[in-house]
Amino acid sequence: MALIELNDINKTYNNGQPLHVLKGINLQIERGEFVSIMGASGSGKSTLLNILGILDNYDTGTYHLDGKLIKDLSEKQAADYRNRMIGFIFQSFNLIGFKTAVENVELPLYYQGVPRKKRQQLAMEYLEKMGLTPWANHFPNEMSGGQKQRVAIARALITQPRIILADEPTGALDSKTSVEVMQLLKQLNKEDNITIIVVTHEGGVANETDKIIHIKDGIIGKIEENFSHAAWQGSAMK
Amino acid sequence: MKWFDTDTFREILDSILRNRSRSFLTGFGVFWGIFMLMLLIGGGQGLKQILNNEFEGFAQNTCIVFAGNTTKPYKGFKKGRSWNMEYADVDRIKNLIPEVETVTPSVSLWGKSVARGETVSSSAVVKGNRADYARIETPQMRYGRYINDADIAQERKVCVIGKKVYNELFPEGGDPCGQRIKVDGAYYSVVGVDWKEAGGININGSASETVTIPISLARKAYNMGNTVHMICFTAKEGIVMNDILPRVRKVIARAHYIHPEDEQAMFLLNTQLIFGIVDNLFNGVNFLIWLIGLGTLLAGVIGVSNIMMVSVKERTTEIGIRRAIGATPRQILGQIIVESTVLTLVSGMSGIVFSVLILYVVELGMTTDGILKAPFQVPFGTAVLAASLLTLLGVVAGLMPASRAMQIKPVDAMRDE
Repeated sequence: MALIELNDINKTYNNGQPLHVLKGINLQIERGEFVSIMGASGSGKSTLLNILGILDNYDTGTYHLDGKLIKDLSEKQAADYRNRMIGFIFQSFNLIGFKTAVENVELPLYYQGVPRKKRQQLAMEYLEKMGLTPWANHFPNEMSGGQKQRVAIARALITQPRIILADEPTGALDSKTSVEVMQLLKQLNKEDNITIIVVTHEGGVANETDKIIHIKDGIIGKIEENFSHAAWQGSAMK
Repeated sequence: MKWFDTDTFREILDSILRNRSRSFLTGFGVFWGIFMLMLLIGGGQGLKQILNNEFEGFAQNTCIVFAGNTTKPYKGFKKGRSWNMEYADVDRIKNLIPEVETVTPSVSLWGKSVARGETVSSSAVVKGNRADYARIETPQMRYGRYINDADIAQERKVCVIGKKVYNELFPEGGDPCGQRIKVDGAYYSVVGVDWKEAGGININGSASETVTIPISLARKAYNMGNTVHMICFTAKEGIVMNDILPRVRKVIARAHYIHPEDEQAMFLLNTQLIFGIVDNLFNGVNFLIWLIGLGTLLAGVIGVSNIMMVSVKERTTEIGIRRAIGATPRQILGQIIVESTVLTLVSGMSGIVFSVLILYVVELGMTTDGILKAPFQVPFGTAVLAASLLTLLGVVAGLMPASRAMQIKPVDAMRDE
């Protein structure tokens, strides 16, 4: 069984007028893949990401993550799965402003009940990996966008999750740091064999991944193998 | 996960200290509420004690009978007749009213001057009392003893002097027992000094300016025959004074040919009534204290709840992030409730501590010669009660904001940009 298996996922929002956002998504992502989900806004890619991240429920279909059926979980269970199996990277970094870099990184472990010393030590290791050791005790507003995103990546990695979900990870970064962040994700995927799913609407970002899943109007369009990273010929990422 | 490990505590301290001025102002409401409550409780209790001190030494169930002029004609006597009580009345009360415990007669002579050698006191009252008068108005003997039964029986020329008389006649201080003082040409040996202050109840003159001599002696020295100026009696334990007063009135009235319904021919001063009034007054004051104190406290707690609500609203993103990276709703709930409890408890505790401090200073001010006039400090039990009340209120204050926080979905973190 693949790491992620989506079977005929349907999702309808019922805010006044029913809005059928996902119309039968079938998707399999294997362990160690570096995938991007691409689509225009309103295509349903954010909803798909929320479902993948157990942040939202779906109506029909099945979603298996690492062999476990993710459906109608209690809040507590969902929180636990999110904590242990999924690392999030957000467009706006979503670091907690009043916590230092190292405190932000260790937060997921705090919710696992890991002792403070151990937590801190692990967080420092991951920050070192990100090349942020000198910034460990700085607050997010003292760091650049790229540094903040690297702190966020360290936070996503610290629980050793099955997958990393990155929602427009370069959306708030300039093109130079965007390249750096994408290189970093690529490196994590290659060297540590971490499964990474990037949601983006930028062709340049998607082009850095090995597989591009196009989503349009709630259904999956074509799936491009992209090992040559030549799917997109723009200049922003080159 | 435990709620009360150091990490949780740090988290909470963090979020409280992040908004220092806001937390301070919010906490101040609770602080002020509990401060006022404690201060009022302590102050009310101290004032009550001060008032009670005024009546100190008085048996609480005492009644004092004075003779007045009749206002109704009866059995051939015209109205407006003046009459006196007599020694036989003491026995009548004693024998006919079984609920009465101690009955004692007293005579008083006003405007006497007391002398010791060349030293002359200002105006004093000479009272003739029996030994059992001490059960009506407890003397506070600084030196020596009170009049005793042998003094009465042998008509000894002894006296007990009040504080003021002592200070005037013995300015050098020291034990005056055995020394002689002169009243109206007769000499009396001092056997004791009554240190009782002039209080709220003075029967026939303040105790401090009194010279007490055996009543048997007073009767002869001042040629008073059978006349008694007042009769004091106490009721037995558990007897309501008001229930037996009509019978006392009847017993005395019958012996002196006074109309049974002539209320003004005889004054009955019932201290139980006075104590009752004071008690009622302070019950009312206490009620007000709790009403105002709890009201202020409640306003403070509602303030905490309100601010926590705002805080949760502000932290929607933060809570969303926490949820996204694995905080359970229960952990969020716990954090908000503990936060509100800590805020309430810390400000409340400082309120308690501050009021205790203020009351301590008040007590210092009320202390003369190392003797405390009245305890103003709140009892320990009350403080503990207040602290547990605060904890409860803190939890209650956190409930609504916490339930609001629990409704925050992790998706909100990303939406709220």
